[in-house]
Amino acid sequence: MGQHDRYDAIIAGAGHNGLTTACYLARAGLKVLVVEKNDWIGGAAVSRSLHEGWTYSNCSYVCSLLRREIVRDLDLPKFGLQVIPYEGGATFTANGDYFAYHSDHDALRREIARHEPRDVDAYDRFSQTVIRQCRFIRPFLLRSAPDPTSFKINDLQELLYLVKRAHGLGPRELAETLRFWTMSIGDFLDEHFENDLIKAHLAGSGIIGTGLGVYSPGTAYVLLHHYMGDVDGAIGAWGFARGGMGAISKALGDCFEAAGGTIFTGSGVERFLVEGGKIIGVALDNGDEYRAPIVASNMDVKRTFLEHTDAKDLPEDFTRAVKRFKIRGSSGKLNIALDALPDFPAAPKGANFLRGDLHASESLAELERAYDDWKEGRWSANPYFDMLIPSQIDPTMAPPGKHMMTVFVQYAPYALEKDGVCSGENWTEEAKKAFAETVFDKIEQVCPDIRSKVVHAEIRTPRDIEREVGLTEGNIFQGELTFDQLLFNRPVPGYANYATPIEGMYLVGSSAHPGGGVMAAPGANAAREILKKLGKGAAVAAEAA
Amino acid sequence: MNARFDVIVIGAGHNGLAAAEALAKRGKSVCVVEQSDAVGGMACDRLAHLLYNPAPSGVETREIDTVSLSPEGAHVLIRRGEARFTSGKPHPDAAAYQTLYRRLVRYAGLLHQLAEAPPPGLEQGVTSLAGLRELSRLAKLGVGVKRLGKAEMREFLRILLTNAYDLLLDEMPDGPLPGALAADAVRGAFSGPRSPGTVLSLMYRLRHGGGVFLPAGGMGAVAGAYAEGARRAGAEVRCGLGVTRVIVEGDKVAGVLLSDGGRLDASAVLSSVGPMQTMRMAGIAEFDIEAVRRARKLRAKGSTAKLNLRLGGVPEFTGLSAAQVKARLLVAPSVAGVERSFNPAKYGDLPKQPVLEMVLTDGTGPSTLSVIAGHVPETSWTTDRRESFTASVVETIERFAPGFGSLVEEADLLTPEDISAMTGAPGGHWHHAEMGLDQMLTTRPTVGMARYRFGVAGLYLCGASAHPGGDVTGAPGRNSAAQVLADGVA
Repeated sequence: MGQHDRYDAIIAGAGHNGLTTACYLARAGLKVLVVEKNDWIGGAAVSRSLHEGWTYSNCSYVCSLLRREIVRDLDLPKFGLQVIPYEGGATFTANGDYFAYHSDHDALRREIARHEPRDVDAYDRFSQTVIRQCRFIRPFLLRSAPDPTSFKINDLQELLYLVKRAHGLGPRELAETLRFWTMSIGDFLDEHFENDLIKAHLAGSGIIGTGLGVYSPGTAYVLLHHYMGDVDGAIGAWGFARGGMGAISKALGDCFEAAGGTIFTGSGVERFLVEGGKIIGVALDNGDEYRAPIVASNMDVKRTFLEHTDAKDLPEDFTRAVKRFKIRGSSGKLNIALDALPDFPAAPKGANFLRGDLHASESLAELERAYDDWKEGRWSANPYFDMLIPSQIDPTMAPPGKHMMTVFVQYAPYALEKDGVCSGENWTEEAKKAFAETVFDKIEQVCPDIRSKVVHAEIRTPRDIEREVGLTEGNIFQGELTFDQLLFNRPVPGYANYATPIEGMYLVGSSAHPGGGVMAAPGANAAREILKKLGKGAAVAAEAA
Repeated sequence: MNARFDVIVIGAGHNGLAAAEALAKRGKSVCVVEQSDAVGGMACDRLAHLLYNPAPSGVETREIDTVSLSPEGAHVLIRRGEARFTSGKPHPDAAAYQTLYRRLVRYAGLLHQLAEAPPPGLEQGVTSLAGLRELSRLAKLGVGVKRLGKAEMREFLRILLTNAYDLLLDEMPDGPLPGALAADAVRGAFSGPRSPGTVLSLMYRLRHGGGVFLPAGGMGAVAGAYAEGARRAGAEVRCGLGVTRVIVEGDKVAGVLLSDGGRLDASAVLSSVGPMQTMRMAGIAEFDIEAVRRARKLRAKGSTAKLNLRLGGVPEFTGLSAAQVKARLLVAPSVAGVERSFNPAKYGDLPKQPVLEMVLTDGTGPSTLSVIAGHVPETSWTTDRRESFTASVVETIERFAPGFGSLVEEADLLTPEDISAMTGAPGGHWHHAEMGLDQMLTTRPTVGMARYRFGVAGLYLCGASAHPGGDVTGAPGRNSAAQVLADGVA
C-alpha cells in the first residue's frame, strides 16, 4: 500500500458512534475512511439473518435514545430509517396474574389501582420526578463534559453551563436532583410505591446492562438512561427500527457513503500507528496500512489502548487508569425464531401490551437475588428478562405468520464460575445450553408453550458478544455507568473531551461521555471536538430550539 | 411540675448533651429530658466500645492497633497506614495499602470541614449575608480540593462516589488487609462494599485521622463526660422522664408534656430521636404532607448487632501475642467475604459468615469480649434466631481461638430490635438513618430537613439522623445548637 492511501481521518470500527463521527466529518468535507473488522457494519446495532427468513436484532434491540438532533442533521429518514413506537409492556407473575403498563394514562391508572390503589398517585409523583430529571439531563448529552480541574475557556464555559442549569433548579429541586443521582432504583421505588409487582416492573430499567443490583446506589440514574430518549418527541417512548437495529447503522452508512466516505469491512485495526506522540494512521489485521492525521477509535477504551496501542506511546498513569476502568459483562441474550406467536394465558387475547416489553420478575428482592448470583460468577438462577416480539409490529423481521423474539437477560457473568474458578473459558457449549434452559424455564412463566414454538435460537453470552462485536466483556455500554465513570470521569479523568494522550487520536465510542445505549451522542460530540480542532465550525447536533 | 426554659432537649444521648452544652454555654437555660435512667443513649458500654474520633475533654483514650484475622493464620497487624503480619514479617501489599490509606485520610480531611457545620445550602440566595457566608464556605472547600493538585483532585472526584470493593481491589489482591477497610466502610450500615457510596462512608470514618481509640472507663465514661460538660455549662439533665408530646401552639413550639404529667415551657425544642418519632410527638397534623411521607420512607434499617460475651478467662488466639489479643480484632477475611455476609441481610436472613469487630475490655475482674456483628436482619428475632446467631458468632471466633466457646459464661445479645427498644434509635440503626449518598449532607435526613429546622417553628433535630450523622462525635448536636442560636428562637 502506498502513499495514495492517505485520508484526512480514519475511524476504527463501524459501530453507530463511529459511523456518526464519520458522517459529520465527511459532510464537513474531510476524506474519511471507516475500517471494520466484521464483514458487516453496525457494531452492536445490527440486523442479522442467522436463520433463513428471520432477521435478528441480535445485540441492541429497541430504539429510543438515538438523539433526534443527529437524526435530523444527518437526514437519516431519507436513508431509510424508520422508528416505529411500541406501546406498553407487562410483568407476569407465577400465579397467573400480570401488571400491564399502558401508555394511555387512564388505562395505566386503572391497572395500578387494580393492584394497589395507593400507588395510583404515587405513579404520577414518580413519573413527574423522572421527567424532571430527564429534562435536566438531556441537554448535557450533546455537550462535552467539562474538566473541573482545568482553567481552559471551554471547560470553564461548560462548567458554568452546568452550574447555571443546576442553580436554575432552585435549592430544593437541586437537593432532589443530587438525591436522585445518588439513589438506588430500589430505594427510589420503595419511597414511592407500596406494591412489589409494580416496583419490580419499573426497576428493570435501572439495572439493564449494568453490574449493579436494584439496591446499588446510582441505579436510579441508570433508569434515567433508559427513560431520557424519545420516539418522535414522546419522551421515554421506545420503538423498533424497521428492519431491525441494523437499519440505524445502514442509514448512517448510506449517509456516510453519500457524503463521499469509504467503508472497508472484513479487517479491523491491529495497531494504531504513533510517531513522536502523534497518530499517523492504522495497520489492519490483513497487513494493510492507512495514513491519516486524525484517527478515531470506536472501540471501547480498554480495547483501544490496552490491545491495539503500544503502551510506550501512552503515559503510564493513563494506562493505569484505563486498566482500572470497569467494563463488566452482566447480560446475555436469546434471539429466537418462532413458528407462531406463543400463548399468553394470563393476558386477554390480543392485548395491546403484549407488543411491548415483557418481564417475569415479581419483586425487588427477586431482582436483587439475581444480582447476588452474578457477583459470585453464576448466571441468575431466577433471571430478569426484557422480552419483546418485534415482528408483531414490524413484519419484515419474520416470514408471514411467524415471529421473532428477542430476550435480553440480566444477569450473566463474563467470567463464569466453575469449581471455584471464574473464567470466560467456562462458557462451554453445555454451559450456554444450560443458561438458555434457565431462561426458557423463566419464559414459561409467561408463555407455557414457548419451547414448542421455537424454530431456532441464538444464545449469546457476554463472551459471545465480546468475541463478535468487540465490546470488552460484552458490556453493552462500553463501560459501567457509575459515578466514577460518568461525565468528566468518563472514560478517564482529564480525558473526557474525546481526545487522548496521543495527538490526533480520539475516542468516539460509548466509553466516552455520555455513555452507552444507541444514542450516537458520543460520536456526534467527538465529531464536534474534532472539527473544532480543525477550525471547521460546522454545527454538530445543536440543541433543538 | 411546671417550669420554663429557653430550650428543651429531648434525649440525653451524646448529641442531645452536646447540643445542651453548646446552648447553655451561650447563656440559654436548657433542660435535657431523658426517658431512661442513664445518660448516653447509644454511647453506653453495652452498645459501643470504640471511638474513631477525639473523645470529649476529661476522657483518656488509648489508640489501639487493629488485627485483621486470617483463616489461614496470616493475621495482619494494622496501625493507621502501616501494615505487617502479626508474626512481624512484612506484608507484601503494605506499600500499596499505605499509599491508598494516606490518600483516603487526606481526602477525608476535606470532608471534615463539611461535617463540623450545618450542611451547605444556598436557600438564602447569594444576595444575603448568610448566603454569602455559605458561598465562601463552599469556596473554601473548593480551594481545598484545588490545592490537592490536578492529579489528586481528579482522583478525589473519581473515587468520591465510588464503591469500596473496586477501590480496594484495584490496588491490592483480596485478603484480610483490604477486608479490614471494607469492614470499616460498611460497619453500622445497610450496605456491602460493592455498593457505591461506601468509599464516602469510609472516608467519613477516617475524617479524624483514622485512629481507633479505646476510651478509659469505656463508652459510659464518654457519655458521662458529655453529661458533665452539659451540666458544667449550666444545663439541667433529668433522667427517667419521657416526653409524651411536644406542644405546638400557633405553628410554634411552646414546650413539652412529660410522662409524669408535668409540662415544661420553652420556645425551642431539640429532638435527638428520629424524624418520624419527632413528628409523632408534635402531632403529624403539624407537618407538611410531603415531609411526613419522606420521614416515613426514611431509610433506617438497623443491621448491626452487639454481643457482649463474658468470659471465664482470657482467650488465646492462634498466632497472636498476649498484647495483640488486646488490639481491635476483626473478622473480615476478604472484601468479597464482607459483601457475601451482607447478602442474606437484604432478605432478612442471618449472615452465614458474620463480619465481626471485637475488643477485649481489660479489667481486673472477669474479662468481656465486646463484639459488633454487622449485617444482621432488623426484625424477627425469635429466641431460636437469637441463640443460633450467638452460637454462630462464638463458632466463628472459636475458629481463631480454639477453646473460646468453653470460656463463654454469659452472652448478652443486642439486636437492632433491642437497640431500638433501649434507645429509641429508629430501626435500631446505629446512625439513626442510613448514611447513604442520598441521605447525607444537604439531604440528611432528607430533602427539606437538612438544616436541623424541623417543620414547626422552634422545633429542631439534633440527633444522628441530622447532618453529619452517626458515630460518637456530638457534631449533629453542636451544629443543631448553632442553628438554633443563628435563628434566634431561644
